[in-house]
Amino acid sequence: MILSYQKRILLTAVIMASALILIMAALWLPQVPRDVKIMDTLFVLDITDSMNVQDVEHDGEKVSRLTWAKDFTRRAMLEMPCGAHAGLAIFSEARSLILMNPVEVCSSYHDLRQMLEQFEPHMAWARSSEVSKAAYTAIRQAKEIDPQPTIVMLTDGHESPPIHESLFPKFAGTPGEIRGLLVGVGGDDLLPIPKTNEAGEVEGVWAVNDVMHQDVYASMQADTTINTNSPRTEHLSSQKKAHLETLANRVGFDYVASPTKPAQLVDQIREASQTRELTVDYDLYAWLSGLALILILLVYLPYGWIAKTDD
Amino acid sequence: MLGLSWASPYLLLLLPLAILPWLSHNTEKKVVWDKLLPVDRFSTLLSITHKGLASCVIMALLMTLAGPFTPEKTVERYRQGAEFIVLLDRSRSMDDIFARRPLNSLPVEKELIRSKRKVSRDYLVEFVKRRPDDRFGYVLFSDKPTEILRLTYNKAAVLATVEAGGLGKGLSKTNIFSALKLAADMYQREDYRGSRNILLISDGGQVFTDEQKRYLARTYPDMKLSLYWIYLRSMRGMTLDSSDNDSLLWLDMPERKIHAFFKTLNVPYQAFEAGSLEEFSAAINEIDEQQYQTLLVEETLPHQYRTDWFLWLALVALFLLTLSYLYTWWGVRLAYQIRHK
Repeated sequence: MILSYQKRILLTAVIMASALILIMAALWLPQVPRDVKIMDTLFVLDITDSMNVQDVEHDGEKVSRLTWAKDFTRRAMLEMPCGAHAGLAIFSEARSLILMNPVEVCSSYHDLRQMLEQFEPHMAWARSSEVSKAAYTAIRQAKEIDPQPTIVMLTDGHESPPIHESLFPKFAGTPGEIRGLLVGVGGDDLLPIPKTNEAGEVEGVWAVNDVMHQDVYASMQADTTINTNSPRTEHLSSQKKAHLETLANRVGFDYVASPTKPAQLVDQIREASQTRELTVDYDLYAWLSGLALILILLVYLPYGWIAKTDD
Repeated sequence: MLGLSWASPYLLLLLPLAILPWLSHNTEKKVVWDKLLPVDRFSTLLSITHKGLASCVIMALLMTLAGPFTPEKTVERYRQGAEFIVLLDRSRSMDDIFARRPLNSLPVEKELIRSKRKVSRDYLVEFVKRRPDDRFGYVLFSDKPTEILRLTYNKAAVLATVEAGGLGKGLSKTNIFSALKLAADMYQREDYRGSRNILLISDGGQVFTDEQKRYLARTYPDMKLSLYWIYLRSMRGMTLDSSDNDSLLWLDMPERKIHAFFKTLNVPYQAFEAGSLEEFSAAINEIDEQQYQTLLVEETLPHQYRTDWFLWLALVALFLLTLSYLYTWWGVRLAYQIRHK
């Protein structure tokens, strides 16, 4: 199609005027209500000694698992849509202690972050690490919160004292009733665990004879088929993937090993959650300015290279 | 640039599209031989301006779509109100029943059995809701104290923390002194602003040593702290002050000793003995509204989108461009009309 010069100029002017109107709309059109899926989340962070092992990378540096878990939680909260709720809990000994019930992430981001920064080994009230029981208590307490949050538990899965395979702590709830994710933290290599004292300061590492290498039941047995001569490595720690997998199955959680992208984790949380619909104001600016851009580009596309416009 | 980050930076790879106006001749008129055209510096300048504006519009729109935002940052704000640090007892004894009847008595009416922890949560919620302009910090303590919420104005966060305090079980023993000391340390960090209050929620159960008493007697008046204690009685009828119909067993209770000691501290002190919630909320109103200084506080803001900046740029550039083309069209039409007359 060949247009006369006059028509081309008119067309250009009309297109530009429309683009101009679109941009004005992008700037001034009121936001439209839209339903988004939001979730209620309870982040449970493991603050036991094994989380002090420095075997995860953050910004190219080796940092402790706890440092990584705190930063990843913070970034995940930033990725959550406004309207979504997040709460915080820590776990030490054999239970989870909920410190803040889920609050709206955007307006309370500052406080969530400040609380997260306080999470240090010295907050631990005892020096054991019973991951499974902690998960169970988190689930039990989550049931008391309305609406029931999805639990996101960041842990390396290190059980201390160890658990006997067939004597797994009993889970009294219904698997999947409270939804959740176990987020595995830590590397694959067995590394020494820094040992904290009562005040939470690191004093050397846990030595081979400081910890139990067998569960309580087996270690009391004389029968060597039960009290087997297994390798004594419980004073060392890695991410216990198989154990976390088992635990996740038991309580009906998903297991995510060492996630790298907070946005991806938020997607996984959303999938796992019983999301609520929330009407939020949605800004159409992206669509409007995108359309304006396409219009402007239409004017300047080099049609001359494709078809000869002659006149 | 401007400390901006981009939500979808890959869109910036399309920025070279901005050279399109310099390559395309869609809006130009072809003439048989360009030597026929008079050399006109103004026209050349106009043509360059046109192309520049068009490039500018394309770039600005692309940058808008790439989602520019300024990352989270700390801002300073002026705020008012009193300050409270809540010291919540999370020791095991708080799991016990609130105001149980004495063991040597028979149940007369149907008893409401709730743990002291649950009762304390209700009182705290009432307290926080009653004082909307105040700034709250939150410490939970058992045998050692942990500061979990720094002083904040965010009521949602404070209430969520208070609600969480009612969940689960107690941790370990009671160490009230350590919590009182931590609260003083927390205020030490803050500027003095007229009203520093400490709200202790506990069932008592600790006797201070002389050294601890000396520390509190020195520090609290120095720092002008006020102390409020929501006391959760373990037994029905038990009061902090001795009365005539006291049971003999109550005379030597540690909470009475603490109460007596708090009264000797040279600071404003008031104990609320948890009874009915109505009484309690009336008591809260009695806490004098004092004169507060405004103070600069730091708060972190989440990231904010800055698309408007680029939209405005696109708007201005496109506005000029559109005007210019409308004018051109008007001129061209006029010229055609003259030619075809």
